[in-house]
Amino acid sequence: MTKRRNAGCNAVDHHVTRRNFMGTGAMAGAMAGFGGLLTPSMAKEMKSGQKQILQVYLQGGVSQFESWDCKPGTKYGGPFRPISTSVPGVQICELLPYTAQKMHLLSVVRSINLQTDDHTVGRLFMEKGRKNGDYPFVGAVASKYLTAADNPLPGYVHITTRGLVDQTAGFLESKHEMMRLEGVKPPTNLERPKDLSKSLAIRAEGLRQQLNQQFGGKRSRALIDSYDTSFEQAQQLMARSDLFEKQDEKELDRYGRHWFGRRCLLARTLLEQGVTCVKVTHHGYDTHAENFNFHVEQLDEFDKTFATLLGDIEDRGMLDNVLVIIYSEFGRTPKVNHKYGRDHWGKSFSIALGGCGIQPGGVVGATNADGTEVSDREVDGAHLFHTYMQAVGIDSQSDHTLDGRSVPIGDPVAAPIKELLA
Amino acid sequence: MRYIYIPGLICFLWGALLPCSALSAQDQSLHDIIDDSLRQAQGDLADRSASVIDDYGFARRVYLDLTGRIPSPTQLASFVEDEQANKREALVDQLLNTPEYARHMQYVFDVMFMERLPKKHVAPEDFQGYLRTAFSSNKPYDALASEILGSDGSKPELRPASRFLLDREIKREETVRAIGRVFLGRDLQCAQCHNHPNVDDYLQQHYFGVAAFLQRSYLFTDPKSKVVSIGDKVEGDVKFTSVFTGEESQTQPRILELAEIVDPEPAEEPYEVKPDTNNRGVPKYTRRLQLAPAMIDAENTAFRQNIVNRIWAMLMGQGFVEPLDMFHLGNPPSHPELLALLADDFMQHQYDLKYLIKELVMTEAYQRESEFVDVADAEERPLYLNSSAKPLSPEQFAWSLMQAVGVVEQSRQVAIAAVTKENESLELSSPEAAKLIEEKVHAALKPSVDKVVGVFASSNAASRFDASANHALYLLNGPEVSSWLATGKQYLLDDLLKSDHNADVVKSAYLAIYSRLPNEAETGIATAFIEQSEEAREEVIRELVRTLLCSAEFRFNK
Repeated sequence: MTKRRNAGCNAVDHHVTRRNFMGTGAMAGAMAGFGGLLTPSMAKEMKSGQKQILQVYLQGGVSQFESWDCKPGTKYGGPFRPISTSVPGVQICELLPYTAQKMHLLSVVRSINLQTDDHTVGRLFMEKGRKNGDYPFVGAVASKYLTAADNPLPGYVHITTRGLVDQTAGFLESKHEMMRLEGVKPPTNLERPKDLSKSLAIRAEGLRQQLNQQFGGKRSRALIDSYDTSFEQAQQLMARSDLFEKQDEKELDRYGRHWFGRRCLLARTLLEQGVTCVKVTHHGYDTHAENFNFHVEQLDEFDKTFATLLGDIEDRGMLDNVLVIIYSEFGRTPKVNHKYGRDHWGKSFSIALGGCGIQPGGVVGATNADGTEVSDREVDGAHLFHTYMQAVGIDSQSDHTLDGRSVPIGDPVAAPIKELLA
Repeated sequence: MRYIYIPGLICFLWGALLPCSALSAQDQSLHDIIDDSLRQAQGDLADRSASVIDDYGFARRVYLDLTGRIPSPTQLASFVEDEQANKREALVDQLLNTPEYARHMQYVFDVMFMERLPKKHVAPEDFQGYLRTAFSSNKPYDALASEILGSDGSKPELRPASRFLLDREIKREETVRAIGRVFLGRDLQCAQCHNHPNVDDYLQQHYFGVAAFLQRSYLFTDPKSKVVSIGDKVEGDVKFTSVFTGEESQTQPRILELAEIVDPEPAEEPYEVKPDTNNRGVPKYTRRLQLAPAMIDAENTAFRQNIVNRIWAMLMGQGFVEPLDMFHLGNPPSHPELLALLADDFMQHQYDLKYLIKELVMTEAYQRESEFVDVADAEERPLYLNSSAKPLSPEQFAWSLMQAVGVVEQSRQVAIAAVTKENESLELSSPEAAKLIEEKVHAALKPSVDKVVGVFASSNAASRFDASANHALYLLNGPEVSSWLATGKQYLLDDLLKSDHNADVVKSAYLAIYSRLPNEAETGIATAFIEQSEEAREEVIRELVRTLLCSAEFRFNK
C-alpha cells in the first residue's frame, strides 16, 4: 500500500477542470483565497497532520429536491425555494439556511446513480465503493491507513442509536471494525468491576505485561503483540472515559440539546482527540409519507447543528485535515405519492463533501430539468469511494496487501472524481 | 539427528511420483514419513529443532486440538501420572472417540462451511447436529462433501446438509465464492467480472464454470408447507463478459481446468417433474447434481489438497498454502510434494479424518515446543523447527475459559446426576452415557459460549485471529467473567481459597488455567503479587486468576 505521492490535502497545483466548478466568475476570487491560506509554515504543519474523516449519514435517504438539488417550479420540485449561499451562483434548498452560509467550505455532487432503490444495497455501495462483496467500509480503510501506530483510540467510531449490524472491516483486521457508540453513552464494558480497586487493577495490569513478556520472549511475536495491544487500547479507553461523560452546557446551547446535537458535539470531541473516522448518524429520512413536513423537521435539526460543527472544525484549523461527507444510501423519488411522500430513489441524487483534499465551492454533475435522471457527469458509489480515499491521501488505485492477498482498494473499473480533488 | 533416512526418502519420492500405490507398500507410518520429509526441507537447520514438549504441554495441546478445550486438572494429572510407554498415542485414540471431539469438529466445520451466516431456511442447530453426527461416526470427508453439495432440501434426512446451498439462497455471488474457498481452496470472487487482476491463474471461466452447475437451479417454495427447497430447470446457460476487455465467453459446468461437463442429448420429455407453482422442478438430467461427483472425483486434486491443507493448518498453525483459500501458481505450497503425498494418502484411506488427524498429531513436528531454539530461525518460511503458538478459536476460548474457572466441571456434575437419574441401568463409563452427559453440559453452557463467541468472533470469516479493544474490555470488565470469578459457587476461586499457602494457590491456579506447573520464578512473582497487596486476600487471588485468563499464554495453544 503506497500513499498517494505529494497528495497533501493542500497540493498547490490543484487542477480544476470542470466548466461549472464554482461558476466561472467565482473561480478567480476563491482560488486567490485558497492560495492565500497556504503560508509555508502552515503547509508544513498540515503535511504532518493526521488526516481524518467525518461522515454525517442521513439515514433513510434525504431528498435531493429538499436539500442539494432544488428544482423550483418544476413538475416534481415540491414547495420549497432555493436560496443563495456563500458561493455566488450556487443555490441549495431554503431548509438549509445555516449550511448555505458554509457552502464555501463544501462541494456538491448532483449526479449520483447507484442503480438501486434498496436501503442495504445503497448503504453498502456508498460505504464500500463496491456494489457487492466483502469489502471494508470507508471508515475501516481510513482506520487502517491513516491511524498512527501509537494512537491508542479506536480508528473508526460510529455514533448512532439503531442497530444496523454491518460487517464494516471486511477482510481488514478486527481493530478496524467500527466501534459503535449508542448515542453519547460510553462503549460496553468500559467500567472496572465495582469490587476491584484502582491500585490493584494497576498492579494486575503490570503482572499481565510481565507474563506476556515472558511468554512472547522466544515465540513469533506478531499475534502476541496484537493481543497485547488490544489490552493497551482497552486501558487507554478506560482512562479516557471522561470523553463520554457530561457534555458542556454552553456547547450544548450552541449544538442543540436534541440527540443529533449531542452526537455532533461528541463527534467534535472524538475528532479533536484523534479518532481517525467519526461517523454520526441522523435517523429518520425515509419519508414515504409526509415528505415535506418531515424534511422541515429533520433538516431544521440537522442544519444549524451541522453548520455549527463544520464551523468549529474550521475555526480550530482542522478542516484542512478533516474530510467531511454528508450522504445517504440514496435520494427520493421525483414523483410525490398519494401520502405526500417520496419513495426510494437511487437513480439521480446528491451528496455534499468538503474539507481535506476537496476543492470547495463546487458543483459536480447535474440532473435534467425535472430531476428524473442524471444529465451530466454520472457517478456512483465506486467513484465517490475513490474520491474520498484520494482526498485523504490514500491511493485508491493501489492494492490492499494482507497476508499474501492483494485486493484493489477502490473498484478498478471506476476512478476518482478528479475535478473535486484539491 | 536422523537426517539420512533412506526408506523414508525413497517412499517420499515415490509417494510424490506414484501418488496412489507407494505408501501402502511401505511399512513406515505416515507420521514418520511426514517428519522425514520436513527434515529433508530443513537441511542443516534440522539440528536447531525445538525439543519435544513435556507431558503437560502435550496434554493441553491435544485436548485443545481434539476436544476444543483445555484439560481439567484431573484429566491432566491422570495423563501425567500414566506410566504406559505409548500413553500419548493412547490419549489421542481416547480423545478421538469422545463426544467432545465430534462437538469440536462440528464447530470447526460449521464455521468453515457457513461462515457464521444467520439462519435463512435451515436451522443452524440442525446443520450443526448433522455435522456432529457425521464426525461422531467418522463419515468419510468425500461423503460429507457430497451430501452438502448434493442436497436440495427435499429429503428430510438430508435437509440439514442443504443449509450450505439453501441458506445462501443459491445466489451466485455468495455460493460460488463459498464453493471455491471452502472446497477448492480458491477465492474466485475477484474473477467474477474479469480474470483476477493479481492472480494469473484465477480465470473468469473458473468462476463461471462453478456458477454453471447452479445456473438452472432456483428456490422453490412449497405452496402448502411453505418449506423452501431447490428446484431445477433444463434451460439456462452461463455467458460472461470481461469488464476489462469486453470479450464475451461461455462455459458449461466445470471445475477449474478440468473438462467441461457436457449435457447429454436432451430426452423428448426432459422432466421427471415439470416445474410449476405446485411442483419442484426435477429434470431427468440435472446440472446441479453433477457438482458433488465432479468435486470429489479423483481427477480433482484441488478438493483433497484443500482439505488436507486445512486440517494441517488446524493442527500445525499454518497451512502449506497461506491464506488457506489462495491456492495459485504465484503462491506455491511451502512443501508441495508433502502436500500432494498427504492428499493422495488421504484419498487412499477413504478420506478418513480421524486417521489423518491422528497421524499429524503423532508427528514430532506437531509435538515440538513452540519456543524457537534460535531467534534467527523464527521468521524463516515454515520449516517446522518448532511448533507455532496457535490462537484459540472463539469456541475453544469460550470452553477453555469455563473449564479453567470450574464452570464446566460443575455443569458436568449436574449432568452426571441427571443422566444417572434418567437412565438407571446405564453404565456411566459407556459411550452412550458420555454422549448424553456432553449434550447436557453443552445445552446448559451454550448461552455463555454464544456470548463469548459473539464478542470474539471475527467479522472476517477467513481470519483465524483477531484482537480488538472490545475483546480486552470484555475480559477485564465483562459480566460473565466476573460472575465466574465469584466465591460461594464452588468454582475455581472457592477451591483456591481453601489453601492458606500462597505457593499452593499459585500452583493450583497454574494447573487449572495454564495446564502446567509454575516454575520457581513464576511462583515467586505470583506469590509476591498476592502478598504485597493491601486488599483482602480473596480480591487479590481473584485478580491473579483474572490476569492469568487475560494473558497471552491462555489465549494461545502454545
